[in-house]
This record gives sequence, structure tokens and C-alpha cells, in this order.
Amino acid sequence: MSDPRSAQTAPATFNRRKFLTVTGAGVAGGSLVAMLDARQAPAQIKGTTLRILQWSHFIPAYDAWFDKFAKEWGDQNGVKVRVDHIPHLELPARMAAEFAAGAGHDIIHNGSSILTRLYYKSLLDISDIYGQIGKKYGGWIPAARSLVEVEGRQYGLPIYYILLPMLWRKDLFEQAGLQPPDTWELARLAARTLKPKGHPTGIQFSQCADANLNWRSLLFSFGGAEADPSGETILVDSKETREALRFAKAIFDEGMTPEVFSWDDASDNRFLASGVGCWIHDAISAYRTTEDTNPPVFKNTFIAMEPAGPGGKRVSVSAANVWMIWKFAKNQPAAKEFLVHLLDNDREGMVQSRGYNMPYLNDGYKKPMPVIGTDPKMQILQDFPKIVAFYGYPGPFTTPIQEVVNLFVLPDMFTRAARGQAIEDVMKWGAGEYHRIFAKHKRA
Amino acid sequence: MTPASLSGGPEPAARAAVVSVPVGATRRAWWRTHSAQRYVFGYTLLAPAALYVLLLVGAPFVFSLWLAVSDANVSDPVARFIGLENFRSAWEMETFWIAFQNSVVFLVVAAIFKSVLGTSLAFLLLQQFKGKKLIRGLVVIPFTLPIAISVLSWKWMYDSQFSVINWALSRAGLIGGYGSPDWPIWLGQPHLALAACIAVNVWRTFPFSAIVLLAGFTAVPLEVLDAAKVDGCTFMQRFRHVVVPMIFPILMIGFLFDTVFTLSDLSVVYLLTQGGPGNASKILPVLAYQVGIQAGNLGRGAAIALFLVPLLFPALFLVLRNLKRREW
Amino acid sequence: MTGVVQAVAPPRTKRQKELRRHLLVYAGLAPFVLIAVFPIYWMLITAFKQEPDLYRMDNIPFWFNLPPTLKNFEILFYQTNYGAWIVNTMTISAWVALITLLTAVPAGYALARLRLPGAENIGITIFLTYLVPAIILFLPLSRVIATLGLQDSWWALVVVYPTFTVPFCTWLMMGFFKTVPMEMEEAARVDGCGQLGALVRVVLPVSLPGVLTSVIFAFTLSMQDFLYGLAFVSPGDQKPVPVGVPTELIRGDVFFWGSLMGAALLVGLPVAILYNFFLDRFIQGITGGVVK
Repeated sequence: MSDPRSAQTAPATFNRRKFLTVTGAGVAGGSLVAMLDARQAPAQIKGTTLRILQWSHFIPAYDAWFDKFAKEWGDQNGVKVRVDHIPHLELPARMAAEFAAGAGHDIIHNGSSILTRLYYKSLLDISDIYGQIGKKYGGWIPAARSLVEVEGRQYGLPIYYILLPMLWRKDLFEQAGLQPPDTWELARLAARTLKPKGHPTGIQFSQCADANLNWRSLLFSFGGAEADPSGETILVDSKETREALRFAKAIFDEGMTPEVFSWDDASDNRFLASGVGCWIHDAISAYRTTEDTNPPVFKNTFIAMEPAGPGGKRVSVSAANVWMIWKFAKNQPAAKEFLVHLLDNDREGMVQSRGYNMPYLNDGYKKPMPVIGTDPKMQILQDFPKIVAFYGYPGPFTTPIQEVVNLFVLPDMFTRAARGQAIEDVMKWGAGEYHRIFAKHKRA
Repeated sequence: MTPASLSGGPEPAARAAVVSVPVGATRRAWWRTHSAQRYVFGYTLLAPAALYVLLLVGAPFVFSLWLAVSDANVSDPVARFIGLENFRSAWEMETFWIAFQNSVVFLVVAAIFKSVLGTSLAFLLLQQFKGKKLIRGLVVIPFTLPIAISVLSWKWMYDSQFSVINWALSRAGLIGGYGSPDWPIWLGQPHLALAACIAVNVWRTFPFSAIVLLAGFTAVPLEVLDAAKVDGCTFMQRFRHVVVPMIFPILMIGFLFDTVFTLSDLSVVYLLTQGGPGNASKILPVLAYQVGIQAGNLGRGAAIALFLVPLLFPALFLVLRNLKRREW
Repeated sequence: MTGVVQAVAPPRTKRQKELRRHLLVYAGLAPFVLIAVFPIYWMLITAFKQEPDLYRMDNIPFWFNLPPTLKNFEILFYQTNYGAWIVNTMTISAWVALITLLTAVPAGYALARLRLPGAENIGITIFLTYLVPAIILFLPLSRVIATLGLQDSWWALVVVYPTFTVPFCTWLMMGFFKTVPMEMEEAARVDGCGQLGALVRVVLPVSLPGVLTSVIFAFTLSMQDFLYGLAFVSPGDQKPVPVGVPTELIRGDVFFWGSLMGAALLVGLPVAILYNFFLDRFIQGITGGVVK
């Protein structure tokens, strides 16, 4: 292993770090390390403290790696680094508290709820490093920009995103003579066929993060949209939305059980891992859960491309992760240095997350990508960047969309439809909520 | 008010000199009177608590009143006064009214169950029996576990697939197997979801009710009860006319504080359902949290949370009456 | 209840009567114990189960289908700062209980006993502060905490938790003090005790159950908070248990059920035992006070 920061050199006192998965750490290769070592941090940050607030990563080994990675960077540059972890759902509360206090961490993580636009007046403009990093690594993927950009300036750095592909049971599909779920229609057919055999499907008809993501993937693949590219005009009231609602109602009636109304982000993982579900639409943590808890089912679980809508369109709404620096941060220079260093090591981050983190930088997609490029079942994930989108599509992730997401308006529309409310009534209610929220943000 | 102004004598100076002694004496006596000493003593005892809550609740509360009438949000550190606009936005929200209604239902239903269960349990624990300590210890455990974690265990027990409750019901033949139409989806059916949240609240707090009552019961001197018994009072008479009046203050306070706790606690609903499915279990604190904190509209969130206060007015009214009637 | 038995039945031996009464009480208690304890039992057994065992519903879930394991506890102690969280929780709760005791007991006494002008209004104001939901307070309080320089230290929680324990316990103590007969105190005065003397030597000993109850409640209430802890304390080694556990044992869409439940029980059970011990003291206090 050419990497000097190997797990073996970790201080023995840090018990939790013993759990660090070192497999594949060498993939990063010698050239990258050489490049890193060549990079010299400015002397001015010596002797300072850097405080980072990060989510609890879905893959615990990644956190262990990250903490060590940050500490080593600190040791090399004479910076005392402290990394705190909190659950992604609670990040907004913590952020609001630091905003109110005008003090807190230097670097703040946002996962699924991207609050750049909401807070940009209190965030540091980091357009310089955004541009610099983009240039160095072949540019950012198209969807990255809208997450961090306000009026042409960048107030955050996209770090990685998380895909929610189709996870399906090849054995069950083959036994029933079904085609792989390459379109939503085929997925529906499979659910209809397999539910009577005890293998229904499920997507959360509830108020949780996955519901926000999954139903948007379906809606956008059906040609629907939330807002226009300016982010000003609401486009949710459309023929396509109606079609998507009707489809969701049908797939619920034919292929799901009412338990989907109670699901949270973790329920479909268990649903797949228990061997019941014929397919789910979820992050690969579900795949990993199955690997750990039910090997026979795992053997037959495959990953498929985002299913195509009736018009052949595929849009995969992913969970974005963005980091930003407070304007009131005490240690802005070190924060910027560290962010650059982190993205310089993007590839290793992907390895340590077991293929969970997807890069925002084009160079990250050189095949084979780490972990997912070498695992035959996961290779398909390399083809997702072209169809990745985030909330508000095709518009940006604006503040009113932020509220729409937090109030679960879109999942509620699908829930209402599935419960049998007339499509026109659902549409009227949903569009009404969008308009009410958008109007309020304009008024303010 | 000075002694001189009260008098009209020709020799004010001399008079004052004469009178000054008794006046000084009465003043000193005023300081030495029983009630004066009591006041000084009393306010000194009261000061630490009063200052603590005034500084750490009062001042922040005034600040949040300001939030509620301003357009404060996290995107702009400077807020403007906008009057009752935030309250109007809340009223316009369908979800707000659903949450309001759910909060009331939650409160009332939970209170009924808690008082019934708590009173019965307190009575049973008053009896002398073997193994009392053990049983008492077991019964209070729900109250001692950190709520944020015990709710997660309930989440697991309510799981749509691996619910142990459903497993037991199913094996007992009361419901069908997993996937059958009568397999309850605790957190997925609108009424069940709210009921499930209420059940967790009741499970957690009825030991609390029982302990408060038990403390009250034990505070009633045995002689008083015995005297009533000798006088031929029945059990119910003794309870109604002797025990209840004596423990009334404690009872009231336990009840009120629990009401407040129940109404403003968001952790149960937030961790179990986030208010779903489709707002069926949304309560005001959860909505306020989602609008105010998660979506960053501090002003509107504060306005929604402030609606909790009118809900609590009936409780406040009861306290006031209770206080007035029990003046010593 | 005994009265009824006497009325219907011919005189029985004392033993039979006792037995019957015991059975009645046990029968009455059974449902309560079941309701209260079943979830606890379920947590206990889950804490020792292997992960795959959780997802097997074909066998009886009330017992182990795969051999029990200590792995969940290993995760707790070796992969998280659980040890530090327990210490933090206990220290925070103890400090909060102390602060509460020193402020709420005197305040409760003053409000209940001393007929102070304005006592009623002050009492109601203190009560009103309890009406203000945490969700409203936590933003302004975060500024207070930052000003005090306590951000990200568990001392922040020691400062904040009394905002709900003090009003609560003040009122609880008012209730208890009101049940103490006025004559007792007056008798003490006649015997030459000062006001403070009467409070310390007569009223407090008689109200000891109330004081202990307040301490217990302050202690437990401190463990029920989630929002403040989340907003004010983020370093891994400064968190209290209720914040640390959901923070590090729910990984997005993966729950470490066994470790979660083990973590809850490890702090909950000792407190329950402590509780029970205090309840005993409390009944002793009562009978002692009355018999004397």
C-alpha cells in the first residue's frame, strides 16, 4: 500500500477506528498520492482549529475513514481538526441553531435537504474553489450547479450524491417469465404478477426522505416537472403529473400492500432483505443490508437502470450532499483548504463508502469507477450521471421547493391518489399547496 | 406622608424632634414586624427560581413573539415587522387545521387513558402485598427510559412487516397473516397512526400519573383516614370527601404539567411518523418544526407554535381557579 | 375491598383472607405490568439478538432463534462514545437536579406558605414559562448559549434543562407544602424556631417525599430532552445518551436495533432502580413524619 495514511498507523487508542475497512484503500493509486503530497497548504492556517459538522454516513466505515483522513490532514498542516457527526434529518435544526447563535462549525454538511439558497446570505462565497476544482477534474456534472449557485455565485461545494436505483430479484422475475424492470410499465407488470405469489413491491407512500426522492423520479420519468428552469413558474399541474398519479394508484392497487403507508426510509431495505419484496427503488444501502443479513436473497438481487417512463425518458432523483462554509466561520482559510483536499481524494472517499458516494466531477466517471466499476452487479451505476436530477427539476432547488419538500407535498399527492381520492381533486390540492408556498416566498 | 405634613403645630422643628423618636421606633418596628420579615424571607427564597425562568424563558419568549410578527427567516439575518401576516398564513394552511385538530384529539384521548390507568395503578400500589417493590420498579421503567430511544423501540414494534404485536395477534388467530387485509399497519392507516402515537405517550406517562397520585395519597395522614373509617364512611365517601380534597393541589399540578408536556412534545410523532401518512398524525409542534426550522421560515414556525398557547388556556384557567379557592 | 369481603362471606381465617386479597391485587396489577414491561422485555431480548434473527418471523420472536450475541454491546462500547454519553447524562442530570432543588424548593415554599403579596401572579408566571414549547425557545436560547461560550459543551444543557425542571418542581413543591398542616409550623415557631428554622427543621423533613420526588423528576426530565441536546451539543464525546444514540446508531436508512435498545436499557434500568429506592425513602419519610 503506497498510501502513508493506512489504517495500521492509526493510534491504538481510537478503538472505533479498528473497524475501518481497509480493503481497496490502495485503489487510489500512487499518482494521486504523489500529487497530494506535492500540494502545500499555506502557512497561515498553522496552529488554527477547524470544526466540521458532518452527517452520520450511511456506511459507518466511511465515517471512521473520514475522521482519520481529516485528522491526518490536520496533523500535516498544523491544524486541529474536529469532526462532529449528527443524523442527516437533524442537520437543518442544528444549522438553524448555529445561524441564530452566529457561531458554530466552520464547515456544515447538507444531505437531502440542501439549504444553500436559504442560507446563502450567511454563507461564504466559494466560487473560487468551485471553479478551481471543476477545472482540475474535467468540470462538474450538469446537475451539480443548481445545488450551490445563487445569482451566479457558488456558496457551497457539491461533495457526493447518492443514487436510488432499482433493486430487483432476478430469480423471482425469471421464475415468472418476466422481463427485467427496465421501464415503469414492466416494473408494474412484475409487481402485478408477483404479488399473488407473495412477493409484492413497495415504494413509500408516507412522509419520509425516500418518498420525496422516489416519487419525483417517477414523476420526472413520466415527463412531469416541478418548476421551469428559472425556478419561478410552477409546472406541477400537468397531464404528465396526472398520468404519474394514475400509474402510482394502479401499481399500489395491483402490486403493493397497505404497509407502504407506514414506511420510512429503512422499511424497504428490510422488505427486500427479508426476501419478500420483488423489487424496490432505493439506495444501495438496501443492497448492503441484504448482503449482511440475507446472503441467499442477496445472491439473486440485481441493480437495474432507472426505469423509463411511457415516453422513454429516465430521470433519477438522487440525494444530494453539499458542504458549505459559514460566513461567521472563524477559520475560513483552513475550511477552504480542507474542502479542496477532500475533493482531491474523491476517489478514495468512494472506495471507503463501498461505492455509495457518487462523484459530482466528470473525471470521477472514468471507467472502471472504484467499487461499482469492478463489481459486475453494480457496474450499471456508472451510467447514472447522465440522468441524475435533484429536487425542483428541471428548475433549481429554490427556497419554495425546499418548503414543498419539507412539507412532503408531492408524496402526499401520491398518497392521496393511492388512497382513492379523485385525480382531479389531488391535483387541485397539490397545485394549490405549491402555489400557496411559492406565493408566500414571493411575498417575503 | 412625612410626619410633619400631617401635623400643623406652631413649632414644627421642636415637634419633629419630639415625634421623631416614636416615628423612628415604628419604622424599626415595621422592619421587625412578622409580615415584613416574612416578605424579605419569602422574596429571597423566591428570587433564584424567578430570575432563572425570567432570564432563560421569559427573555427568549419575548424574542420569539417578535419572530412571530416578523418575516424572520434563515435567509436574511435582518427581519422586518409584518404584523399578523404569519398567523394569517397559518390559518390559510389546510395542514394547520388538521394539525390543530390532531393536537386536541391527542391531548384529550391521552389524558383520559392516563388518568384511568394512573388512578387504578396508584390504588393497586397502595395495597400491601408481597413483591410490591419489584412490581413498582417494573412499572416505572417506561418513564425512566429516554423517550427519544424508547420511541424507536416502538417504531420497531409497529413495523409493518416485523411487528411483534401483529405476530402475537396473528398467532392468537385474531388477525390474518402478513399481507392479509386485516393485518394492521400501525403507522400507515390514518386513525391507527394517530392512535399508535397516543399509545406510546400513554405507555410512557401513566406511571408518572400513578406516582404523582401515589405521592398525594401517601401524604394523607393515616389518622385522618382512620377517623373517617371509624365514622362509618364508605370507601368511596372517604375517597371523595377526605382524600380528594387533600390531594387536590398535587393532582391538579400533575395533570396540568402532563398536559403541557403532552401537547408540546414532538418527539413521539416526529420519530414515529413525521406526521404521516398524509398528515393524519401531524400535530402542531411537528408542523412548526417542519415549517420553521426545516424549511427555515422562523417567523411562520413561531406563529404556528404559538397557537399551542391558546390550547393551553383552559388548563391555565383551571389553575387560576384552583389557586383562588385554596387561598389560606 | 376488605370491607366487601367481610360483608358477604362468613368469617374466614386471616390467612385465607390475605391470600384472596393478594390474588385480587395481583390480578389487577397483571395488565399494568404486561403493558409496561412487555416493550421492555422486547427491547432486552432484541439487544442480545443477532441481526438476521430480527428478520425471522417464521419462528417465535419472543425467544432466540439464533444463539444470543453480545455484538450489539460491543458496537455500543467500541464503535461509539457510549461510555462518555452515560457519564455525561448522569453528570448533567445530577447538576440539573441540584440546581432545581436549590431554586424550586425555596420558591415552592415561599409561594405556598408565606402569603406574599403577588405570590399568586408570580406563581402563575412561573407556570406560564412551562407553557412555552421548547421548539420556540431553542433558537433564542442558542444565542444565549453561544454568548455564554458553552456551545458544544454539555454544560450548555446544565444551563438549559432547569428551564423546564424549575417551573415543574416549583409547582410540585407548592402542592406538597400545601398538604403540610400549618399548625405544625406554628408549633415550631412557638417553640422558638425562626422562619428558616421552622422550614429546615419541621417543614422540610415532613415534605421530604416531595423533595425527593422533585429530585427524581428533575433527573428523569433531563433525560427526556432531544431537541436542545441536538441543537447545542454536537461533539461525539459531549453528547448525552438520548442524543448520542439516535445520532450514531441510525445510519440513514439502517437502524442498529439491537444496539439502540441495549443503549436505552443500560441507562433506563439503573434509573428505574434508583427510582424505586427513592420511592421507598419517600414512604418512610411519610410514615416517619406522621408517627412522630
